[in-house]
Amino acid sequence: MRKILLLCLLTILVLAGHELRAQARAISGKVSGADGVGLPGVTVVVRGTSLGASTNAEGIYSLEVPASATALIYSSIGYESKTVTVGNESTINVTLAASATGLDEVVVVGYGATVSRRELTGSISTIAGTEIAQKPVQSFEQALQGRAPGVNITTPNGVLNNPPVVRIRGVNSISLSSSPLYVIDGIPAYSGDNSATNAPNNPLSNVNPNDIESIEVLKDAASAAIYGSRASNGVILVTTKKGKKGQSRVTLDSWAGWTKPVRLYDLLGAQDYMSIKNEAVRNLNANRVAAGGVGNNIEGFLPSYNPDGSLVDTRWYDYIYRTGFSTSNNVSFSGGTEKTNFYASVGYTNQKGMLENNQFKRASARLNVDHKVYKNFTIGARVAYSNSYNSAPNSGSLSGSAFSIAGLGRAPLVLPPNIAAYNPDGTPNLSGAYVGSGANVGPAPPASASSPVPPLGPTYYNPVVDLMYNDYTSESNEIQGSVYANWELLKGLNIRTSYGINNVGFEDKSFQTALGGDGFSLGGSATNYYRTNKRWNWQNTVQYDRTIAENHNISLLVGGEQQRTQIQRWGAQRTQAADNLFDSYQGNFTNIAVAGNLQTDNYLVSYFGRLTYDFAKKYLISFNARRDGYSAFAKKWGNFYGAGAGYIISEENFWKNSSLLTPISFFKFTGSYGEVGNIQGVDDYGFLRSYSSGLYASAATLAFSGAGNPDLTWESSKKTDVGLSFGLLQDKIQGDFAYYRTTIDDLILNVPLAPSRGVPFPGVTNANYIQANVGSMRNSGIELNLRYNAVQKKNFTWTISGNLTTLKNEVLVLATEGQRLGTATSGSETVNYTEKGRPIGSILAVTSLGVNPDNGQRMIAKKIKDADGKVINTIPVQYNHLGTPAGSTGWTTLDGQNVAGPTQLADGEYYNVLPKWYGGFDNTFTFKNFDLGIFIQYSGGNYIYNGTKAGLHDQRYWNNDVDILDRWTPEHTNAKWPRVVYGDNVSNGSALVMSSNVEKGDFVRLRNVSLGYSLASPVAKRLGIASARLYVQVQNAALLTKYKGIDPEISSNASGANSNTGVGVDRNSVGQARTYTVGFNIGF
Amino acid sequence: MKIAIKNKVTVAVCSAFLAIGAFSCQTDLLDPQPTTIFSNLVVFDTPARISLQVNGLYAAVKNGNFYGGRYQVYGDVRADDFINRTSNSITAQLVWNHTLTETSQNDVINTWEYAYNAINQINVFLDGMDANSAKFVAPVFPADYSTTTANQYKAEARFLRALSYYALLQLYAKPYADNSGNNPGLPLRLKAEASLPGNDLARSTVAEVYAQILDDLQYAEDNLPLTYPTATAPSTRAHRNTAIALKTRVYLSMGRYSDVITTADRIVSKTAPFTATTGVQHVLSPSVTNVFPSQTTTESILSFPFTAQNTPGTQNQLGNYYLPNLPQSAGGTGEFYLNANGILANPAWAANDTRRVNWVTVYNGASYLKKYSSPTPFLDPAPVIRYAEVLLNLAEARSRVNGANDAQALALLNAVRTRSNGTAYTQATVDNILLERRIEFLGEGIRNFDIMRLNATIPGKGNISAVPPGTPRYIWPIPSTEIATNRLIVQN
Repeated sequence: MRKILLLCLLTILVLAGHELRAQARAISGKVSGADGVGLPGVTVVVRGTSLGASTNAEGIYSLEVPASATALIYSSIGYESKTVTVGNESTINVTLAASATGLDEVVVVGYGATVSRRELTGSISTIAGTEIAQKPVQSFEQALQGRAPGVNITTPNGVLNNPPVVRIRGVNSISLSSSPLYVIDGIPAYSGDNSATNAPNNPLSNVNPNDIESIEVLKDAASAAIYGSRASNGVILVTTKKGKKGQSRVTLDSWAGWTKPVRLYDLLGAQDYMSIKNEAVRNLNANRVAAGGVGNNIEGFLPSYNPDGSLVDTRWYDYIYRTGFSTSNNVSFSGGTEKTNFYASVGYTNQKGMLENNQFKRASARLNVDHKVYKNFTIGARVAYSNSYNSAPNSGSLSGSAFSIAGLGRAPLVLPPNIAAYNPDGTPNLSGAYVGSGANVGPAPPASASSPVPPLGPTYYNPVVDLMYNDYTSESNEIQGSVYANWELLKGLNIRTSYGINNVGFEDKSFQTALGGDGFSLGGSATNYYRTNKRWNWQNTVQYDRTIAENHNISLLVGGEQQRTQIQRWGAQRTQAADNLFDSYQGNFTNIAVAGNLQTDNYLVSYFGRLTYDFAKKYLISFNARRDGYSAFAKKWGNFYGAGAGYIISEENFWKNSSLLTPISFFKFTGSYGEVGNIQGVDDYGFLRSYSSGLYASAATLAFSGAGNPDLTWESSKKTDVGLSFGLLQDKIQGDFAYYRTTIDDLILNVPLAPSRGVPFPGVTNANYIQANVGSMRNSGIELNLRYNAVQKKNFTWTISGNLTTLKNEVLVLATEGQRLGTATSGSETVNYTEKGRPIGSILAVTSLGVNPDNGQRMIAKKIKDADGKVINTIPVQYNHLGTPAGSTGWTTLDGQNVAGPTQLADGEYYNVLPKWYGGFDNTFTFKNFDLGIFIQYSGGNYIYNGTKAGLHDQRYWNNDVDILDRWTPEHTNAKWPRVVYGDNVSNGSALVMSSNVEKGDFVRLRNVSLGYSLASPVAKRLGIASARLYVQVQNAALLTKYKGIDPEISSNASGANSNTGVGVDRNSVGQARTYTVGFNIGF
Repeated sequence: MKIAIKNKVTVAVCSAFLAIGAFSCQTDLLDPQPTTIFSNLVVFDTPARISLQVNGLYAAVKNGNFYGGRYQVYGDVRADDFINRTSNSITAQLVWNHTLTETSQNDVINTWEYAYNAINQINVFLDGMDANSAKFVAPVFPADYSTTTANQYKAEARFLRALSYYALLQLYAKPYADNSGNNPGLPLRLKAEASLPGNDLARSTVAEVYAQILDDLQYAEDNLPLTYPTATAPSTRAHRNTAIALKTRVYLSMGRYSDVITTADRIVSKTAPFTATTGVQHVLSPSVTNVFPSQTTTESILSFPFTAQNTPGTQNQLGNYYLPNLPQSAGGTGEFYLNANGILANPAWAANDTRRVNWVTVYNGASYLKKYSSPTPFLDPAPVIRYAEVLLNLAEARSRVNGANDAQALALLNAVRTRSNGTAYTQATVDNILLERRIEFLGEGIRNFDIMRLNATIPGKGNISAVPPGTPRYIWPIPSTEIATNRLIVQN
């Protein structure tokens, strides 16, 4: 109340002041920064009036003030405002402190330039290096989950160093890559899994996250168009640390962590397994008899016993998961003088995953140097070397391996629990390549009455073989770096040349034993691959920055860039080991064949320019243009551009003087539009009609291998962005809001051809498609980013920040009218269909009507259509496995008439797989020397096809989820699952994608919780150190979701050609681990 | 002023530097020449490249998903002589138990796709030969290239196209015997397919597809070489007698028995030892154990070869399907074992029959076929047609035309039977001939068309019911991928 009174009083006084400004006098002075240098462009306003002036180039100002003036307000972008009471003096010199608000942080915009956040016209998110350092991840982008609006990152599985799925403002392509362009210190980097084995290798893991100063995400056309034909998916700029003048510093970072699996399925134990499966055989026999056949299958699911007489009851999970222990140590040195600054670091991390045999190691070193040779001539270098090594078992979790019978994601779900992993003598329980049957026999009847009942014969591998004997590794050596020279010719005119390389050598090895599993039929197999990624990049730019007539700020960049990328891989597979002693390629094997050959070569040459102009830091415009020539198209050249404008309305005097508006310390409108392109993932020779050479036995061949398309060109992405940014209460609250809309035209689609036309695509004999620029798709949504320094007390601070993004994706045009573009999961099961008018890659599933309480059969809604294909009615049909007469399908109407079964295409309904909303929510508390960070990530609005759940209720010999106990029996008719019939893989959804396995994917994840303690500086000083912090943290601490699978993020597990259209399917992958770490950070 | 001039000079120097650096696009790099693939413009430039293309056509038909293994497996396991052991839906379980759907990837979809890929390879080659015929002149090409070699190659291509269409008919269309071939057959693609438009094509009738097959075979017969100079080529590349042999099978499938006789007579002498008198001297090998596993005797008319560098591919190999999984030295995965109630139980296949002694192995109470005996990398050739079949084709046709007492029919039948220690038949009844075919060609993929050409019921086995003709599962569905793209296709 008192405050309000005071405010009223103040207003009256101010108004009164207006009336009394008769006797004016002059005040002048100098405004300087902390270093004593005069600050130009500082606004000086008489409090309560619109009277004001600004400082000149030397920081000098003078203005007439009325006698009534009480105080002057000095403000400038990047500095704390200061209010000085006016006395009788005529000279007032003021020193302004640099402000620490986020609005003045410097944002990297590419090609050596930076802009203050305040002056941005485009949409760029910045993530500080501190936010991602010390997280138990392998590559930095894994730690970006939930950190930035518009950036959706998912972790498709819990295998170490598997690349996360990064999508900026939606899915921006259908058949090309939708992953952003990564640029590390100006040099485009490699991303994605580059390994040829089951051990994934994401080259971005070669960057030590502790070396990163900041990460910028360029999202709209105004910011990304400078990257032209590669900007469609957004650009992620990584800037590594550099030394600061006068601050010599040594830091030591170490952590240790423990990684565990979470949310594993609850599976049937041996006893329940045997009773369910024998019941299923009993029901099958009944069905067979009812259908007029013979019910002679054998209830052969029988107990096995351990040597001590106890029942074999194997929890296969126990052999596959473990608690992994990880460590990470980093040392860095940095410092600088007037002429030279440097940052150097070495790091080593050794991480063991929750999966047995899964281990990631990285040794890295970096040296960043800048040196002033002359006053206006600077040279420098950014050089990093890294050795990374990843080993993994056959997790069955990498893209494309969902149905692998060797996969450790799947093995514990399907393997019978009543068989042992090991024989009593310690050898793996094996029957040929597969796991041994234990005591289980049948259920197929014996060949004749006199012959023995055959063993069950599971056709899955015993996972302990893979874990004991097999190896999959990928080791890479990367050198990434650049040197530059910068000459400031005239004040504000810089010419710069920069030459960079990014070379990686990958050595990928796999070995599979002859004893069992994948290597059995090969008699043992060892495969080695060597891959080189070679890239050079040369950039030359001229940058001119100038302020004309005080208020006209111009910045102009013109430049050229050339880049050549060559990737080669060669390899060979040796099979038929001479002896089981040999477990590497160097051993003796009797056979050898070529494996994994790859050769690509592309060249990109570009000219680009950027012009930014602002008037008085108030009206902002920017224009980017780029012309790219690219070798992978027949028509080589394309033009791209982006334009943006901004208006900082809070810089207007009327705003500054309005008491209503002054609480809003910053308010800016922005808008941008542009057209950029996408070439990432275009085949280097895709425009050629090609022939490849192969073999017909020992004779060489030449065969038509790809139709090619000479008209192929860039995908064109038209990006619109409308935004506003604001700061409230001295920027205590800051926020950004943006509406974005991207329309991608000329999408390169695999235009499906009738398979009867037999058209191959390079590397895919039965491809039946030709790539053409035919599609169109739109992404739109809003982004909101808020940051609130809720409490800023000496002993207690609380900062809240959060972001929210919405996404609406709609496919506008596909190759042909009415086309349904199906995408098969790992080449087996087609769940996803992309259709015009719907979000990309939607699930298509027939509608389950539950279990018929009368007979326990699965009921599905079947559509009845008229001659035009219009649905006129929907009827329930039911499935009785092998329970209907010979020649019928097993499907009947509820009154028992045989009908054709429902099909996905004719009877399915669609479910969106892309999250409609996602974001993160971060809380940071400090209390005295303690700090606590709670970071939450959330996502939802999508559906997931839980194919794992289908498999977990399959009525072959596969093990089931414990909830199968809630199956229909004559005594229990209100059941969740159908009557079990041996061999039935339809009623559960294995063979028919049905809605009962489609679930909502909403989740809230407590992604990271960390608690730290920093040594008070007096204490630290006494110990001779500058700073020290100890912390504990939990990564993936909790997951709140109604999703029944291990992890809703598994559903993003699709890569390569399927990465856009094949997501939203959960099939047999291992989920994310939970990691507990303790660590410390010491600075000297 | 001096400084200004100096600056101007510097600007000029730097601009020049930049111009060189930034604007010196290396235009040759914008047109990279692939080092591992060919452009279509050059593949007809030399006789050697065209020859390589012909090899490529065989390789396409030989794909493990087609004639390199799976087609033969499907031809056997649909019927009743094998029992599925592994319940693995990837390896023909659904073919065996007749639960295929239009979306069954590994069989219904893949067979169609790989077969049509082979057909298109052939069509692309044939069109390319015509389009590039102007290149076939001296000095790069021999003078008679256009009139001889080119026609031979085209004949090989058309032979392979006939073989491919024939295979597809046996799976995706009703037998000729059903409605005299007037049921829907296949989309008959005869032109190179390499551009976007052209998806829609209706199914020709079964009879029309057979007519095209016969047309292709006639061209093949007229233009193929009589033999090849190298020792193995006669069984790995089509020559004139290969076309004739396949023709007997095609006529048999159409029920045109008198045509079988006239055709077979061109390569079967009237009396024993039966032999082809022109071209490759096909003859029954004295023992079947010479024929398998090598399949390089003159009994093998066409077999697709493999090497360690050129394998059938995982889960396509014949040996992998039929050899037991244990002991490990056996080398297979035992996907299918012999049905104890199938041909194995037939008294006509005696215990001392060479084919039983050598090719049936018992493991763990089950009998396995070991006709394809080499373990991984499974280099046994995939058989397509051999002389024994031509003899039995002729025998059956004669029996049907002239009755079971036809002397030559009986002689032909017994020629096959007695060389393997089988008791001679006294009558060449059709049943006897069919029975002998079951024994002789077990595992060679011939059983399915022996049943279907007669529009007979596919027998049941184990707990799998029989499938009578005319029921939906009697033939395979057209793949969903074809339905989705070809608006004129009609589902079975």
